[in-house]
Amino acid sequence: MSATSPSQSIVDLHRPGAVSDVFAGEAPMAPPTPPSFARQRTAIGLPEVSEVDVVRHFTRLSQESHGVDNGPYPLGSCTMKYNPKRNDELARLSGFANAHPMQDADTLRGVWEVYERLQAMVSEVTGMDACCLAPAAGAHGELAGLLVIRKHFAQLGTPRSVVLVPDSAHGTNPASAAMAGFECRIVPSDLKGRVDMLSLREMLMSDVAAFMLTNPSTLGLFEDQIVEIADAAHANGSLLYYDGANLNALMGIVRPGDMGFDVVHVNVHKTFSTPHGGGGPGAGPVAVKAALAPYLPSPVVIRKNGVAQPDGDRPLSIGRMKSFHGHVGVLLRAYGYLRTMGARGLREASENAVLNANYLQHQLAHMLPPVYNQFCKHETLLSGERLNTSARQFAKRLIDYGIHPPTLVGAGCVYFPGDLKSAMLIEPTETETKASLDYQVEIFQRVFDEDATDEALVESAPLSRKIARLDIED
Amino acid sequence: MNQRQNDSVTERTPVGFNVHTGLDVQAMLEAMGLHSVEQLFADIPAQVRLRRALSLPSALSEWELMRDVRAIADMNATVLTHSSFLGCGAYEHYIPAVVDAMVSRGEFLTAYTPYQPEMSQGLLQVLFEFQVLVGRLLGQECVNCSVYDGATALAESCWMMCSASGKRRVVVTQAVWQQYREVLDTYLLPRGLQLVYVGQDLQTGMANTAAIADLVMAGDVAGVVLQSPNALGVIEDVQAVVQVCQSNNALLAVCVNPLLCGWLEAPGTLGADIVVCEGQPLGLPLSAGGPYVGIIACAKPLERYLPGRLVGRVHDLNGKLGYALVKEDREQHVARDRATSHICSNQALNAIRVAIYLACLGERNFMRIAQMNAAKAAQLRESLTALVGVKLLRSGTHFNEFAVELPMDAAMFCTRMRDLGFFAGVPIDKALVGHERGLLIAVTETKSLADLQVYVKHACACLQES
Repeated sequence: MSATSPSQSIVDLHRPGAVSDVFAGEAPMAPPTPPSFARQRTAIGLPEVSEVDVVRHFTRLSQESHGVDNGPYPLGSCTMKYNPKRNDELARLSGFANAHPMQDADTLRGVWEVYERLQAMVSEVTGMDACCLAPAAGAHGELAGLLVIRKHFAQLGTPRSVVLVPDSAHGTNPASAAMAGFECRIVPSDLKGRVDMLSLREMLMSDVAAFMLTNPSTLGLFEDQIVEIADAAHANGSLLYYDGANLNALMGIVRPGDMGFDVVHVNVHKTFSTPHGGGGPGAGPVAVKAALAPYLPSPVVIRKNGVAQPDGDRPLSIGRMKSFHGHVGVLLRAYGYLRTMGARGLREASENAVLNANYLQHQLAHMLPPVYNQFCKHETLLSGERLNTSARQFAKRLIDYGIHPPTLVGAGCVYFPGDLKSAMLIEPTETETKASLDYQVEIFQRVFDEDATDEALVESAPLSRKIARLDIED
Repeated sequence: MNQRQNDSVTERTPVGFNVHTGLDVQAMLEAMGLHSVEQLFADIPAQVRLRRALSLPSALSEWELMRDVRAIADMNATVLTHSSFLGCGAYEHYIPAVVDAMVSRGEFLTAYTPYQPEMSQGLLQVLFEFQVLVGRLLGQECVNCSVYDGATALAESCWMMCSASGKRRVVVTQAVWQQYREVLDTYLLPRGLQLVYVGQDLQTGMANTAAIADLVMAGDVAGVVLQSPNALGVIEDVQAVVQVCQSNNALLAVCVNPLLCGWLEAPGTLGADIVVCEGQPLGLPLSAGGPYVGIIACAKPLERYLPGRLVGRVHDLNGKLGYALVKEDREQHVARDRATSHICSNQALNAIRVAIYLACLGERNFMRIAQMNAAKAAQLRESLTALVGVKLLRSGTHFNEFAVELPMDAAMFCTRMRDLGFFAGVPIDKALVGHERGLLIAVTETKSLADLQVYVKHACACLQES
């Protein structure tokens, strides 16, 4: 235990005058006369803490956090795979870290060079014709893609107001659709966890701008009717939107563009291994088929006379999604990943993601049977019906063994349709070794046995942490 | 179907960051009673399968990658290769080494959103401390755990004002940075919001309070958006606009440079309902524009309209204090199309940066740096406007950024200065000042008095050439 007690906050560490002066050696300079609304009466209330105390405080807080660097993180649909260290170093290179976004475009050649190369690689992996890297996150890419779709129909002179999403969709899908000014309608799943084709055909009416689909779905299943779905949507004049959240299952095997999708966003942390940072920053490149390219947000980088540069002639663009050029520091990491993996490495990563998920599904089946009894893709939905306690309690006990719980109803970024309250979505990811998977199986077995023999123990979990189970209802 | 089937499976070595050897794959397949990985992909229709390898550049080893990207990095000029006076929403500030050292810790860097609070107490506590420190800084009760950047924070604040009031019109001052105005258009027009722009006082550069009053008095206005310092570098009279808004039942969102709050009273304390800012000046590297961190702070009654995450203090089963994400019923994974926003990933790691930066500086240093920024900018402003033909563009109060009118085209001046090793400033949008001779110049604590003198000397030379 460190000298500072675990409950102490940075504010409690305040000792007036504990910090030394910054720039103390510099000649003092009188600030201009403050205007009438100068900060005179009230202090800000920032604590003064010595440097060593700051370091110890935040080091301790880091130790009370769990990341991929600490151990398994099989959080379904969130794809918490290894984040390569070399890529962090790229983002710290002075040529990028110290470049100002308002510099003239011709002093940022390196930024455009990376952008142009990365745009091409994202387009190739997704099977699309054009790409914009500006969106700040997957959901931001969704918003961009939906605004592109909106603009497309407006330009055709036939505005459409409805977006269809499956009942199993990520919550971001309907939320982004609402932000883009669309009305959302929900397409039910069939008994096999796929899109219910009959319902979809009925719902494809003349006001439907797009159908948003994740494939593999958030249930870990490949939509094997994808060709029929694409044909039905296109026959209705609607577009097909690909939520790239699960693209890490398909790299080099099948491309959204070849499945009939018109717009795609990519979550770089899931697909191209950028760190999630405890919630962000991410990046959400959006890629489209050629007919939609004029509407992409700015900046789009082109190569002209051999030199990469932002395309200044985009009169039909939906405009700007955020200030400046996008998350350069995150996109550099994605570039590093793609250049390290190459075509063969990417394909192998997807094969491993699917292999690992099926291996876990198989090894856990006698305890937690798969809800849909078939091969899964990169994640598997398991049933907790055989548990004495709840899936939530089972998951909390995993914490005591250093394994992050899988995605549960109400604790993760997905929504399970129908009556799947006891389900858990588990995604080992492609960077867990067989030894790590076997360890996870062993721990699941141990907790499963505890659940059968010592319900009280499991219900009191977690026991190994600074705090016991939290009641978040208040 | 791929080249590897010709290889002996057991001799396979993993590519890049892949982990399985051929023997691993074989053992896992055998455990499942399978003979190939390909069987796991049998449900993908043959007609859509990719029948070739992806066309990507060949894979690089670590040192080859470093060499490649270093060469590309060297194609950029930076604020270290040039003496930079660029601002307009991003500022060169000194970042204490502690900040980088702490955010580089893998436990923070490689964590996910803290959906399992018992396993993420440290991360949650830092985010809570971010909320506390930023709330004090901006003078507001509630702070969210960040959105994408300052521009999207401003757009979200407009939606908050509309949701809270049930109205669809927002009054925006023209002197909001152009990039931010473009984001407002992208975000809000498809949702049916109406943005009404009001101009600036030609003398002071401050928002035309009378024009704002006319608009809000006419009714049906959800709120007003003010930026301070604005795109002319001028500090707005927040209090005057607060009065206009409060007496006409309109809300007020102020977009502020957070460092200004070390020198002047915080907009929240002055009565603004929402305070948003780009957090980049608080310990984030320039990074050619991102990632940065958007911050939204508001008064308690508006909390339920805040987009994104909130960390709160809760109790565990034994009554012990802990931290968790709270009020998640507003969020996309619960509320879906009725959510207050679609935010799933935010800028948590950069919020951590802000918390550490503020902790490193403490009250006295933060105020001191803010004053140094104001003082150094004032010094350069006075020296420059003493040059023949250079005029201060607006007379209002400045912080670390100010606008001048040059006797020549501003872009041309910048080009000449660049050849001498300076990023001289950002030319001001003609629509805002009526000519192309306006230049917005930012000065931060990173410039010494000697640096300022050299700038003036070279500016003098560049102007004389014309």
